[in-house]
Amino acid sequence: MAALGRVALLLSFALVVYALTAGSYAAYRRRRRLALSAQNALLAAFGTTLVASAVLLTALARRDFSFVYVASHTSRSLPLGYTLSAFWGGQEGSLLLWLLILSGYAALAVWLNRRSRELVAWVVPVLGGVATFFAFMLCFVSSPFDKAVAPADGAGMVASLQNPYMLAHPPMLYLGYVGLTIPFAFAMGALLSGRTDERWIVATRRWTLTAWTFLGVGQLLGAHWAYVEIGWGGYYAWDPVENAALMPWLAATAFLHSVMIQEKRGMLKVWNMVLVALAFNLSIFGTFLTRSGVINSIHSFSQSPLGGWFLGFIAVCVVFSVGIIYLRLPLLRARTKLESLVSREATFLYNNLLLVALALTILWGVMYPLLTQAVNGETRSVSKPYYNFFLHSFGLPLLLLMGIGPLVAWRRASLRALGRTFIIPAVAALVTGGALIGVGLGSSTPGLLAYTFSAFVFASIVLEFVRGTRATGSLRRLVAKNRRRYGGYVVHASVLLLAIGIAGSSAYQTIRERGLNQGQSMEVAGYTLTYRSLQNTQHANSQSTSATVEVSRGGSHVATLHPGKSFYPVENDFGNDVSIYHDPRTIGDVFTIADQFDKNGTLFLKVLVKPLVNLVWAAGFLFVFGSLVALWPDAVEQRRLAERYEPGAVAART
Amino acid sequence: MKRSPARLVIALSVAAVLAVFILYTAIAGNATTQLSPSALAGTAGHVTLVGMVVGHPTGDPHSPAGMRFRLKDVSGSSTARVLVDYHGSVPDLFKSSAHIVVSGRLRNGVFVADSGSLVTKCPSKYAPAKSKKT
Repeated sequence: MAALGRVALLLSFALVVYALTAGSYAAYRRRRRLALSAQNALLAAFGTTLVASAVLLTALARRDFSFVYVASHTSRSLPLGYTLSAFWGGQEGSLLLWLLILSGYAALAVWLNRRSRELVAWVVPVLGGVATFFAFMLCFVSSPFDKAVAPADGAGMVASLQNPYMLAHPPMLYLGYVGLTIPFAFAMGALLSGRTDERWIVATRRWTLTAWTFLGVGQLLGAHWAYVEIGWGGYYAWDPVENAALMPWLAATAFLHSVMIQEKRGMLKVWNMVLVALAFNLSIFGTFLTRSGVINSIHSFSQSPLGGWFLGFIAVCVVFSVGIIYLRLPLLRARTKLESLVSREATFLYNNLLLVALALTILWGVMYPLLTQAVNGETRSVSKPYYNFFLHSFGLPLLLLMGIGPLVAWRRASLRALGRTFIIPAVAALVTGGALIGVGLGSSTPGLLAYTFSAFVFASIVLEFVRGTRATGSLRRLVAKNRRRYGGYVVHASVLLLAIGIAGSSAYQTIRERGLNQGQSMEVAGYTLTYRSLQNTQHANSQSTSATVEVSRGGSHVATLHPGKSFYPVENDFGNDVSIYHDPRTIGDVFTIADQFDKNGTLFLKVLVKPLVNLVWAAGFLFVFGSLVALWPDAVEQRRLAERYEPGAVAART
Repeated sequence: MKRSPARLVIALSVAAVLAVFILYTAIAGNATTQLSPSALAGTAGHVTLVGMVVGHPTGDPHSPAGMRFRLKDVSGSSTARVLVDYHGSVPDLFKSSAHIVVSGRLRNGVFVADSGSLVTKCPSKYAPAKSKKT
């Protein structure tokens, strides 16, 4: 069976190499039939990669330990769901998932846009080029189909990966990372073909939005996973691996905003090309970071031979994208110019600069240990204060711009008109800030600013909906008329929830830790936690020890928690079983960690009280809802686009 | 012809970003030195130590005497070992051969760790050493 997997991968490699080489020649020489055959090769590569993936999945389901990959990442006692999730639990499987998603996305994108022949002719070789790299790695560097004498049992899966989030978080991130390849390929295709109008943006708008949504959701799922599983009470540590996903998301966020300027006003053409290339290259850089082990991270990765290959591939991608943008600069002249620094397009520009500045300062922080090592031979790293400083410096103005942007007119806005528009949001902000200072919550300046700006933005979003509803007569009609805009406002509201949740749970968090004997209590931020008893439980693949802890507030019992630890004998690993009480009154959590069980029965209990933290997770749901509203097919928009471009070409792809 | 203010905006923004950056490095720059056990000898300041746990720890991290364990380099052939003195929470994944990160200072040959600073590396997407291939 492994042979079938290997052959399928070799076929994928041959097909994508053909798509790259024959596709390039056909596009250059304008050979239509050859271009079509390159296009078909890309579609077929999805089929062969699907076969290879089915082989690996079957081997995992059968627990065929003669596959080195299966023996290294699963065991007989591992539940089937986690066994199948081992597909992306290791390096080789992750690469296969990457190629599978890439070839699937590529096949769909090319098929949907098949009528835009001139553009697609150049998109195919770009997609083929990216796929060639991953297929090469899988065939010749890191194969999931290596065989060995089957051991009696597999090595199992690391305890912290045995979590339902393992089923969703990695695939979501991959769907996001890989999805950024499609707008990149269309952008490069547009440059190569010389068709630098807005068609490539229209063709890939939903791809970009989809990839961006997956990347955002993937990060939130990862944050929640870390929160409930790792047992440190936090959800984001500014670790290089976490930053690896945040950087392309920030670049893609900037791109999603700036393409609107190009569509509406024909400006920022070069900037959009730079952003799409930056987002794609950062997604590959993220993979390099997580696969090379070159940067010290709290995530442990084996030193693998993949680092050098990825570095080489990044170099090729950067040189290719910068080179092609430079060569096509004459075709990227703006149709119009920025007329005023106080206009909708100017606020979009400010937003873009802040997002890119944030992404680049994070990149600098991630690269800092490598740079200091290269310059003076000593590895130095920056930590939370560095990232927080830039998050405050760039993130807070960004937050405010979310409220200002939608209220400013296109082209040129008068200060008098602005004063009238801003009066309600400004009053809301001042009242909120004053109230917070009044109740003694003004000690944290960034926190105070975050809440004040949030009030401003919230008021501006509500105003937009109220004015729009008045004009159209119903909220439903308003949203249906411009899903993209109002979906965007819902996403902005989710960012507000996120900001409020993060500020609340970090600025007003309380942490206590102490040893308790049975019957003893501890007080934390108004809660009383009493350690009652200890239980041992045997599970299918683990043994757990947990404490019973009663939680009360103001003398009334509110919850019974069971923090504990699990031992996984096959993996010889311990896992933390944190126990959380979600308090609806504070929208926060009482988070308990059984830090240590002593032989004499003493429990060392760590308790974190985190107000408003559940807004962070609620923001995730609102984010998905807003993205879906923006993504939903829009008949009015389709008609408008069909009028702008040739009939038929656009209708099929949007 | 009147030039677009976009260039001015971009130039001013870049200048502002650089100013913020310089401000940070001048005022708040607090990069921490990361060292492996073999490079620790002779250092005086506050550093982050990255290494692999050797043998089993002794003592209780919640007692006044604390817990002690030895660290060696994660990779390479150095025989250097550093004794670490630690108080506070110990992550679940802490065990012999675990890769850890801990901050503190070297005092009289013993690395006195900051309380609660011990972090074990999270083995997400961890690729173990391969068995012999056929």
